Amino acid sequence: MTDEKVIEVVNQSLAEEFEVDPETLKPESHLIEDLGFDSLDFVDMVVVLQEAFGVMLREEPRVREVRTLGDLHRLVIDKKRELEL
Amino acid sequence: MRANSHEAVGPPYLERRTVSALMIVLMNIWVPLLMVIDTVIGIVLFPVGLLVWRLVTRWPLARIMRHFIWIYGRVWMWIVSPFVRFRLAGADREWARRPIMYVANHLSFVDIFCLSAMPVFDVVICLRSWPFRMVWFAPFMRLAEYLDLESLPWDEIVARSKGVFSAGRSMLVFPEGHRSRDGRLGRFHSGAFKLALQSSVPIVPICITGTDRISPPARRWLEPSRVSIECLEPIAPEQFEGDLGHIELRRTVKQRMEACLARLSA
Repeated sequence: MTDEKVIEVVNQSLAEEFEVDPETLKPESHLIEDLGFDSLDFVDMVVVLQEAFGVMLREEPRVREVRTLGDLHRLVIDKKRELEL
Repeated sequence: MRANSHEAVGPPYLERRTVSALMIVLMNIWVPLLMVIDTVIGIVLFPVGLLVWRLVTRWPLARIMRHFIWIYGRVWMWIVSPFVRFRLAGADREWARRPIMYVANHLSFVDIFCLSAMPVFDVVICLRSWPFRMVWFAPFMRLAEYLDLESLPWDEIVARSKGVFSAGRSMLVFPEGHRSRDGRLGRFHSGAFKLALQSSVPIVPICITGTDRISPPARRWLEPSRVSIECLEPIAPEQFEGDLGHIELRRTVKQRMEACLARLSA
């Protein structure tokens, strides 16, 4: 899966599962301040992305450092690459 | 002919506008005045009322407070009744006998008062932090054990909601988290649906229309309106399983509410 495809699937998952307006899904969008996520949404987001990509994010310490959508894209791309190695 | 038809339409139209303006002026004198009187009398009589209710009913303090708040809402409905017509549909008196998670759309701060039209008073209302900062309401809300969803840690919200449901009481959440600015349903947060599934209680969606006409966000005066409160069929939690069951439940509830609100608006 290419990086562009990962980004597309992440954005699609957020739009569908969290009712986020696709127009607002930009790499610099802050998940809390711009997209209106709360702490529960973060937990759900991890589960949604685990299911979408088959990667393990629940125990990943970098999840706590995710602030923007770009951070999330990079995290999923890295985890996907780890899986493919 | 044209002049005649214009004459026929013009004066009643102007009359209607004048009556509307007059009603708005009257409403904005009548309602705040009586609400201040009602609130002051309520606060003064509160200690005596509490004692009498406690001796007569033997209910816990929080339940008595929820009853008082429900009565306060009913009084508000009576005060605004010359200007607001209420319609309640779909509510079942039997709901008072079992724990239910009510979720409602949110258009105006008066939604809380309008929900007193429901035949159920023992409902723990979950709100954001700002209502708990209103000094004249906050002590009563705390005594009623309403939940501050913004300030409390999630684990405590879960523990307290389990306590509420296991005692046979109900909860009410506005899943949008704030009042709609355009009358449409906003994004639903997942908390209410998660709590319902964790305690295996049914969800009753409540669709409210017309309260944004009375007092929308950021407008300081009241206007007459017709308010509809329509309760949809309870949705059983059992069919929503797995880690993401609450998201599916949230989606189902929202779809039903969107359909109902579209019908009410039409």
